[in-house]
Amino acid sequence: MTDTSFPDFDTMTPADFEKYLPDFFANGDGHVSTDPRLQTFLKNNPDCAALVRDLEAIADQARSLFEPSDPGDAVWSGIQNKLKHQLPDDDDLAVPQTV
Amino acid sequence: MDVQGLQQMTQNTPAPGVYKRNPPIAGEAEAIEAAKNGDAEAFSRLYALHKRRVYTLCLRMLGNVSEAEDMTQEAFLHLFRKIGSFRGESAFSTWLHRLTVNLVLMHLRKKGLNLVSLEETINPSEDDAPKRDFGSRDLQLTGSVDRVALERAVASLPPGYRMVFVLHDVEGFEHNEIATMLECSTGNSKSQLHKARLKLRELLRQPEQSAQPASLKEVAV
Repeated sequence: MTDTSFPDFDTMTPADFEKYLPDFFANGDGHVSTDPRLQTFLKNNPDCAALVRDLEAIADQARSLFEPSDPGDAVWSGIQNKLKHQLPDDDDLAVPQTV
Repeated sequence: MDVQGLQQMTQNTPAPGVYKRNPPIAGEAEAIEAAKNGDAEAFSRLYALHKRRVYTLCLRMLGNVSEAEDMTQEAFLHLFRKIGSFRGESAFSTWLHRLTVNLVLMHLRKKGLNLVSLEETINPSEDDAPKRDFGSRDLQLTGSVDRVALERAVASLPPGYRMVFVLHDVEGFEHNEIATMLECSTGNSKSQLHKARLKLRELLRQPEQSAQPASLKEVAV
């Protein structure tokens, strides 16, 4: 993490923390709560710590979002129809019939 | 972004995270080569192998079943036309993933996101912006998030927020890659992601009904 543009971690205010939070998330491994430099600040500012926990929980859960699902059968039918009627330059390409 | 831009982006080096999640599939290489030569059954095979991944990606990015199905169709039609340009420099699924992302972005721009610069358009209105609110510890999410509730909240995000959140937190793209795709700055991507997460937190802390838009019945998969 590059510290040059960050405020002093010991004297940082909640407003400073809010300002730099996107960079704290982006520059580390995505887990601000385990950054050793922020432990004292988070301990002294429980609302900020709660915010970090919530945002980390959201980011962690995001990876499991949207279980894969199949498109409707109409999608394949639509592909077949469009290949038949809208690809005049590709007359030599056979239109697939089955999935 | 024009078609040439789309083609260039599909040939870029893939995101490392995406590549790791896209190992080669048995029989895929043969199907690709056959499809390049116009083998219809091979194209059917590629559709069967990749329809779920492409559709799910479209659904994540668009938050709407009907649009996601339309874009899935467009992605495979585009694939049918352009498969000859796939040179195997990345995994086929990575190439198709990138092609799909860029088609969806083009689609969204056609819908209106291209009217002004993306730096502005991915910033939602004041009403949609997250409230600046650290506090209310009694309302915190207690460190766990229900997946279904989060899916619904993501689907109800303003399009700009949803796009950056899905690309970064769900699909695993880096900020510099997102900045390239969305034609915005890396700082803007970081900022939008943060605002998206704040908005999600706000939505998840609201009673379920107020967080659920009318169109969400369609997205509950």
